[in-house]
Amino acid sequence: MNFLRLITCGVFVLSFAVLASCDKREGGRERGGYPRSETLYLAGSQWGDPNTFNPLVEPWLVAWPANDRFNIMYEPLTAYNSLTGATEPVLGTLVSFDTERVVVDIQPEARWSDGVPVTSTDVKFIYELGKRFPQATTAYVGEFVSGIKVDTIDGGIERVSFMVNKRERNNPLAILDQLQAIRIVPAHVFEKYLTDNNNDFEAVKKIKCDDKPVVSGPYTLEQYNNERIILARRDDYWGNKVLHGGALPVPKYIIHPIYKNNDHFAVGLQKGTLDASMNFIPRINERKKDGVRTWYDAPPYFVPGSMHFLYLNNTKAPLNDRNFRRAMAAAIDYAAINRLALSNYTPAMRPGLIMPEGLEKEYFNAEEVDAHSVPLGDTAYARRILSEAGYRSVFDDRGMLRFSIGPNGDTLPTLSIRAPAGWSDWEAIVNLVVSQLRAVGIDVREGFVDGSQYWPALPSGQFDIIMRKPPVAVTASLPWNRFNAVMSSRNWRPVGDGNSMNENEGRYNNPNSPDYNKRVDELLDIIPLMTDKDSLKAAYIELNNIFLTDQPVIPVCHLPEEYYQFSTKHWTGWPTEKNPFAPPQLPWVGSGRNTLWKLQPVTK
Amino acid sequence: MLKKYPTVRYVLQRAIWYFLTFLVAIALNFFLPRLGSDPVDIMMAQSSFSSPEIRKQTEENLRKSFGLIVIDKQGQIVRDEQGNAVRASKLSQLFNYSKQVLKGDLGTSFKNKKPVKEIILQALPWTIALQFPAILFGWICGNLLGALAAYRRGVFDKAIFPLALLMSSIPFFVFGMVLVYFFGIIWDIFPAVGAYSLQLTPGFYLDFLLSAAYHYVLPFFSIFLILAGGQAIGMRSMGIYELGTDYIKYAKWLGLKESRVLIYLFRNAMLPQLTGLALSIGAMVGGALITEMIFSYPGLGMAMLTAIQTNDYPVIQGVTLLITTSVLLANFTVDILIALLDPRVKASLAMDAK
Repeated sequence: MNFLRLITCGVFVLSFAVLASCDKREGGRERGGYPRSETLYLAGSQWGDPNTFNPLVEPWLVAWPANDRFNIMYEPLTAYNSLTGATEPVLGTLVSFDTERVVVDIQPEARWSDGVPVTSTDVKFIYELGKRFPQATTAYVGEFVSGIKVDTIDGGIERVSFMVNKRERNNPLAILDQLQAIRIVPAHVFEKYLTDNNNDFEAVKKIKCDDKPVVSGPYTLEQYNNERIILARRDDYWGNKVLHGGALPVPKYIIHPIYKNNDHFAVGLQKGTLDASMNFIPRINERKKDGVRTWYDAPPYFVPGSMHFLYLNNTKAPLNDRNFRRAMAAAIDYAAINRLALSNYTPAMRPGLIMPEGLEKEYFNAEEVDAHSVPLGDTAYARRILSEAGYRSVFDDRGMLRFSIGPNGDTLPTLSIRAPAGWSDWEAIVNLVVSQLRAVGIDVREGFVDGSQYWPALPSGQFDIIMRKPPVAVTASLPWNRFNAVMSSRNWRPVGDGNSMNENEGRYNNPNSPDYNKRVDELLDIIPLMTDKDSLKAAYIELNNIFLTDQPVIPVCHLPEEYYQFSTKHWTGWPTEKNPFAPPQLPWVGSGRNTLWKLQPVTK
Repeated sequence: MLKKYPTVRYVLQRAIWYFLTFLVAIALNFFLPRLGSDPVDIMMAQSSFSSPEIRKQTEENLRKSFGLIVIDKQGQIVRDEQGNAVRASKLSQLFNYSKQVLKGDLGTSFKNKKPVKEIILQALPWTIALQFPAILFGWICGNLLGALAAYRRGVFDKAIFPLALLMSSIPFFVFGMVLVYFFGIIWDIFPAVGAYSLQLTPGFYLDFLLSAAYHYVLPFFSIFLILAGGQAIGMRSMGIYELGTDYIKYAKWLGLKESRVLIYLFRNAMLPQLTGLALSIGAMVGGALITEMIFSYPGLGMAMLTAIQTNDYPVIQGVTLLITTSVLLANFTVDILIALLDPRVKASLAMDAK
């Protein structure tokens, strides 16, 4: 019996040891400890292992917050406020913008963390990097900016003029977007890296910039591993005095946990181990009792900012028939999708590419929309268009669709709606759309595929119907960039392997076909140059009417750009509808970062 | 040739077979991930480009750095008549890969440009720390309980057997979620997510070890209880079978102490259970993918899942190579051990040799 007893004892001792360690040690000041009341936990922007913090590397390889548009470590010239539409100053102040140039004054007090002033040299370094190294990620700027002029005005302030590239894109609106998208990096640091590496750009990209990086923002990288990234506040940040009246950002540390599973965001917020996140969490209102809050207290809870679409392959029968596409748009029950798949996060759907709320509202014209659109969710109307256009559907005894026949008597192919497998909200949408479309006699089926089948299908256009959220950020150029993403034939390529389009993937409006509608591309070209509000509104309405008539894609929901949701367990003072001092964004992008100066810890 | 040494002959025979299996597995590991689209296609579609020229340039740079297109001796991209880069054939990729592996180089991840070896070495300790104790303790406890249930029968068996049956028939990820829901969320006793408190830096000091132990409880029990249940059932039926054998009856007639009889019983019933243990330790390095997902536990399973989602060939290959090798090694060891330990197998080997 000795052997047995030994093992039993061993198991018990182990269990006690484990249980004894279960005292709650959150908030201790141990080695590398970060007190809870001084630390803000934000999540949702880093999923994989952090690799490099070098801002010159391709964005998908760079870890938060050196990647993308995050502006708390490296800062751009300006920040866009999605609530007011204002372009707010960061490293620079927007002075003017017209069809010729975009003018920005550089903050004379701006300093890098090593004390070197931020100057036009730094601005020119990053904006003109593409001229020296065509593989630089900012190389595309050259299409929009033909040159950069620097003058010194009164008080020694440097005034930078970005000249609009008239010969190529001729789009000052896009330059405005870049002012907040392109973060300025320290030229004196990176020029030295380049000299040390004989101007080998690929060698410079291998530098990780993760040990005391030279930054201009309010936070800098303290340490990281595969489970989290930790930023520490820079108390000597230049902007505290210039932009925030001498106040410091309140959290001393920001920790970004790297979760591997979507459910952990909900669990983290509910338990208070996470203070804010940006991922889709279903039924957010049911988590209110745990201190989880959103911008609005009632549906839609979030501020809509981006549209999710069903992209249709406009080159394939029967999707090349406008009537067929319009019937699809009419047959979908958007309210049911909102209720069943999206936890009521979409406000009542209106047709078209202009949102009837927020800053775009001024371009929305209800009469025009009603006059040109199909009625949404009207199945009788959908059936009528189909039968008038010569489509016929055959149902079995139980009322299930068997097949449908086109105007020329051919049986129509079953169309597949592609979506990435495992994206549960999109899968739910597609399931509903399929049953709704089949009910009116449109032969579609779900096609949930692996990411390796989903992503490459988009640019090559090899799909029937595909769920898609175009990479349209909430920036100064909305809703132009949404129209551009859906309707532009500028880079038109036929469907097929090796042919890529990164906008209008459904191949609408072929410029080589006799039915080409020149007006669409004309409008897309002139809208960015318009300064007069009335003609701008008229142009948007005209473009939206073409969209409604042709229905090249089907918008299915209006969702927030970022699901801004936060917990009030450890930090309060978050911006909301009632206290809108900053836009509904996590405090790491655009003017959302202003929140960092206003938060209050719950316990001292 | 080796007729005089049946055991050596047997070992060699096995070794050759395992090596052949290994080669086939490597080829499968190499070709299966490459059936669909390549990783560059995925990266391209996920980013936006302002012009097709820039897109093409970026695409070619990526393909070049991943070794997916043909490069001539001057380091220039070889092009076809249309000016498109010529893609490297799968066979030449396999050739390059095999050359590297033989040199001990597992390559560099496409996705985050880290050496695959480093990725595996970072993840492996967590996987082993999570799985090895759970498997070992699960095995020991399960077998003890099973043997007891078989021997004592009565109330003891009536309680243990249904419980073990229940535990072993719950999929372990469902059990993991149930644990998270009750202990992590509703009662809030244990942390639901992660392997340690994120404010700590991993290292060998008390606070970190305590935090790791605290976070370890739920994932550990999610594997341990299920495994113990399965082992208990297996051991119980083996035990009941062995109880009916002559040697146990004889031992009882001799009036030996109960614990002594139990040990005899245990030793004989354990043989097939041992095979199971070796196999699960071999398969362990594959990581309990779903357990790791449920608890956001760092480990090999997670590393592999991320790699598969992005078609990161070198990482997929590296991890599958590791799994294949360890499963084969475990099998091989079991084969050899059984030949050495089980007198019945030994006897039959000697018979074959004659």
